[in-house]
Amino acid sequence: MNTANRFKKKNQHTAEISTASLPDIVFLLLFFFMVSATIKTKEEMITVEIPKAQALTKVDQKSLLREISIGLPKSSRYGSSPSIEAGGRIISLEELPQWGIEQREQLPEAQKDQMIILLRADEHVSMGLVSDVQEKLKEINARKILYRTLKETGS
Amino acid sequence: MKPRSLKPEAINTGSMADIAFLLLIFFLVSTTILQEQGLILKLPPKPEEQNTAKISERNLFKILINSQNQYLIRGEISPDLSGLRSQVKSFVMNRGAIPTLSDHPEKAIISIKTNRGTEYQYFIEVLDEVKEAYYELYGEQVGMTAEAYRQLDQRDPSEYQLYLQGKEGLPMNISIADPD
Repeated sequence: MNTANRFKKKNQHTAEISTASLPDIVFLLLFFFMVSATIKTKEEMITVEIPKAQALTKVDQKSLLREISIGLPKSSRYGSSPSIEAGGRIISLEELPQWGIEQREQLPEAQKDQMIILLRADEHVSMGLVSDVQEKLKEINARKILYRTLKETGS
Repeated sequence: MKPRSLKPEAINTGSMADIAFLLLIFFLVSTTILQEQGLILKLPPKPEEQNTAKISERNLFKILINSQNQYLIRGEISPDLSGLRSQVKSFVMNRGAIPTLSDHPEKAIISIKTNRGTEYQYFIEVLDEVKEAYYELYGEQVGMTAEAYRQLDQRDPSEYQLYLQGKEGLPMNISIADPD
């Protein structure tokens, strides 16, 4: 009788896994993503299909990067010919040097000559426009270019 | 009355995880992880600043792409880029052995010329093949694959040393000519 009671008492406790630390784990994940990611602040005005390549280099100093996109505008307001987008708006080729100089002014004094232009061009855009952009960049001596490409999968 | 108020009231935290997951999913969807990778290249300066050194024909590896996206590699029409990588490698590492190829890796120049009507992706494909050829050579100098060589962390002193050793004597001279 005595022993049976003892066993019964033990069995009444159901073993539960504590989930109290689960929120902490999830919050940790949450903070990781909040820190490692940036919020898309602006809607892109241009559709860009980025070409694929193998010989990729990563750029560590993200503060040096300034982005230019070349592609077809999403909205017909901007016409249907390939356009250039920089700093969240569609700009003409003539405005590009001005934009580049403005961007360079934002960099700290020691890094002014190290600005890297991140060129996001659509894979079907013609080289004529791409080289016009490059010519304009040469004019303001912004000659480091990172052609944005995706990692080629397979092969 | 008294024993009732003494009992500690536990707040149910079971739904806390759900709330956190909701937040997590929101951030996952609304953000993009920074992925700045691509093909880096330094453009030549404007023509008036260029030093017009005479480049002998043998040190120039010309790749042309026309407006129909066809390749002309060293004067020969090529339907695809399958042999380009090995061609570039043997051109650069010739060291004067074959008279038609470069006489020194440091003097070898790869010139890519496009037409204004060429599609951007074909240009990128050629540039990628040429860069890959160079990275394979760099990798070979330190006994690595091209992929492993590119993964070297330049902030790590020992890996930076390997990085420099791989590049030793093999400057990546890629010239992008103005299109016609």
